[in-house]
Amino acid sequence: MAIASNRGKITAEEIWAVAPGERRQVGVIHIVITALLIGIGFVVGAFGSISFPLGFGVNFFWTGIAVQQVGSIWFGIWGVIAGTIFPFFSNAIAGTPFYVSAAYIPANLFQAFLPAFAFRYFKGDIRLNRSRDFVILIGAMVISSAVGALWSVLVVLRSFGLLTTNSVPLFLWGWFGGNVLAGLVFNIILLKALSGVVIRSTAFVKRWLA
Amino acid sequence: MNKTLLGYVPERSPIYAIHPFVKLFFLLVASLFPLFISAPEWNFGLIIFVLLLMLYSRIDMRIMRIYVPVAISMASIIFLAYVVLGGFHPEFAEIGSLLGIRVYWERIRDAIVVYFRILPMIVMMVFFLNTSRERDVIVAMRTLRIPFVVTYVFAMALRSAGMVIEDFGIVRQAEQARGFDTHGKSLPYRLRKYVMYMIPLFALSLRRAEEFSNALIARGFAFTGPASKTKRADYILTHYRFTRLDAVLTALIGLAFAALLVLRYGFGWFTLDRSVFLPWLENLLLHR
Amino acid sequence: MPPIVEIQNYSWRYLRAEQPALQDINLSIEEGAFVGVIGPNGSGKTTLAYSLNGLIPGQYQGIKEGTVKIAGTEVEAYKPGELPQMVGVVFSDPEAQFTAMTVEDELVFGMENLGLSLAEMRERLDWVTDLTQLKPLLEKPPYEISGGQKQRVALAAVLAMMPRVMVLDEPTSMLDPVSRKRVFDVLARLKRESHNTVIVIEHNLENLVPLADRMILLHNGRVALEGETGGFFRQAATLEQAGVYPPGGIAFFHGLMQRGAYTGEIPLTLDAAVAALEGLMENRRHE
Repeated sequence: MAIASNRGKITAEEIWAVAPGERRQVGVIHIVITALLIGIGFVVGAFGSISFPLGFGVNFFWTGIAVQQVGSIWFGIWGVIAGTIFPFFSNAIAGTPFYVSAAYIPANLFQAFLPAFAFRYFKGDIRLNRSRDFVILIGAMVISSAVGALWSVLVVLRSFGLLTTNSVPLFLWGWFGGNVLAGLVFNIILLKALSGVVIRSTAFVKRWLA
Repeated sequence: MNKTLLGYVPERSPIYAIHPFVKLFFLLVASLFPLFISAPEWNFGLIIFVLLLMLYSRIDMRIMRIYVPVAISMASIIFLAYVVLGGFHPEFAEIGSLLGIRVYWERIRDAIVVYFRILPMIVMMVFFLNTSRERDVIVAMRTLRIPFVVTYVFAMALRSAGMVIEDFGIVRQAEQARGFDTHGKSLPYRLRKYVMYMIPLFALSLRRAEEFSNALIARGFAFTGPASKTKRADYILTHYRFTRLDAVLTALIGLAFAALLVLRYGFGWFTLDRSVFLPWLENLLLHR
Repeated sequence: MPPIVEIQNYSWRYLRAEQPALQDINLSIEEGAFVGVIGPNGSGKTTLAYSLNGLIPGQYQGIKEGTVKIAGTEVEAYKPGELPQMVGVVFSDPEAQFTAMTVEDELVFGMENLGLSLAEMRERLDWVTDLTQLKPLLEKPPYEISGGQKQRVALAAVLAMMPRVMVLDEPTSMLDPVSRKRVFDVLARLKRESHNTVIVIEHNLENLVPLADRMILLHNGRVALEGETGGFFRQAATLEQAGVYPPGGIAFFHGLMQRGAYTGEIPLTLDAAVAALEGLMENRRHE
């Protein structure tokens, strides 16, 4: 990965730009990152599921959202894969039937994908140095959690007959609020505290794969 | 004692005679059983069966204490979702009123059915996690010919979960050594401080990722290129033999599932109408 | 025969670093040599180790100049998975390099990656567990054994792959003296029984010096001194300037040489030092 020198401060655009002569390729580090994120997410997600449960994997403060969304922002498709897979296991350990956890996969996939896409498309600064970056982050969090809530509650839980019509709003707001609230707390702190370090690491993914 | 994913199992446990594939197969297939059973007494029987398997495997049953709060909270949520937020239904049989909320027999029945569908799945997962070592999960996956990269990522994820838990303990001790103690503090304070644990945990994991990648590369592991297509000898599988007992158990599990489907859809077994417990409970609640 | 390791005008600067980690390195190592690399912290020893097995530039971003060749081929020219068959690396932190859940699985992991057959793997496993005395530990998880045992596992795992070059990056830095000696006992046996090229990066010289055929001193990213071990330690001033202090016995005899009280070869082992001192005292008695 020998590339041209760049000793100055990195701008938001430079974070995502591949420099002339820079070679980026998929490597073992990306597999390892995926595994580590699954492991971290499993622990952190299970903590949220067990500590703040609403039921059937829905939590009113889901700590796993940090790993799901920050992981995908930093590590592209590898974070998206991890963010899609780990909730399956963290929900299972917290008592959600595994067929329900499996059916949540599209919701978790979207929740992991959208923030990663938003930052890359709008060239946001993952260190959150400008108000624009906060808008990108919060916008992505809100939209992805809303879609996730709709899928999970309306499609999954109702289809499996696990909820009554009257309890749907509770679970919808629980899923949505639980993700957004936890995201506001954890995502912002993690991105601000560690993005500077992550950008300089070999694991950081500028595009989607490397 | 041998360490499993959730606890410890004595070295003389009969569970070691079973091939890991059979344990995984049992988890995957038997977890589907409650989906097709509405009568709660049958699902309760399934719970008892799995608990007996745990006893036979010499698992320390105190591990179930961890799941008591989970079971209670799940019961509360289901009760809330079905009974409290069940809504008004003039066609349902009203049992009474609870703090101004009408309580219907049908909602209680549905809550019981759902609850007793979920509990066996939790117990089966606990059984699997208590009787399987990390190596067993790898062996089961490789037996199923799941690609090595997928299997290895799963194994790494399991290990890293364990390491994260250890790291969390270390970070907590370091914080406590600096005088940080959440005991007796308010929830927002504790939440704010717990957030600060995430940063060193992530930083530790990032550093570990780099070191671990270097180690994998140094051992010739490759994800791309010709080296990634090397045919592996699967040395780990040489320690496990798929015996006649394993074949018989696998067949029994499969047959049990087939029998369940035939009885359920062919003869109407396991439905609400065929339940013995529910009519008794209905009678008790409505005609007391 | 061409050298197994050939480094020419090699410099490496990590991205966003002010100074290069290695500058104008020229080194040539013959096959079968046992080489010690020493130097203060930050002198570039680990960078050199990583440059030999392709981790640099493969896994790290930076600017490379010059060439690093293993068996006549530039490291970057090797395909993924090929270079570890030539160069094996043992890292300083044993915990960070475990890839499996039991010692046995750890030892066979590298061999599986190479595509060896079960028979070959069993044969190498026998050899390597005998060499490193790990047979009683095969079923244990790597994280449940002692530090010294862990490092022997790491060493055995690399040895099982039978690379032509073994690089050990501060393999005993986290070990107690007894465990340290055990690791070097394995290296000594390896030196006697096989033709591997061994490059050991170490701070602790007591165990390294008796084994090394050649020594290299790195200082501020450059080769400050290199040569066969005996002559190497005559350059005490250069060593001390670089912050490297020879083992006690060597320093003692160097002091004697400076006072004109000793003119022979500097003894590199304790036994040799005792013998030399006995000889010196015998000569004095006769005078």
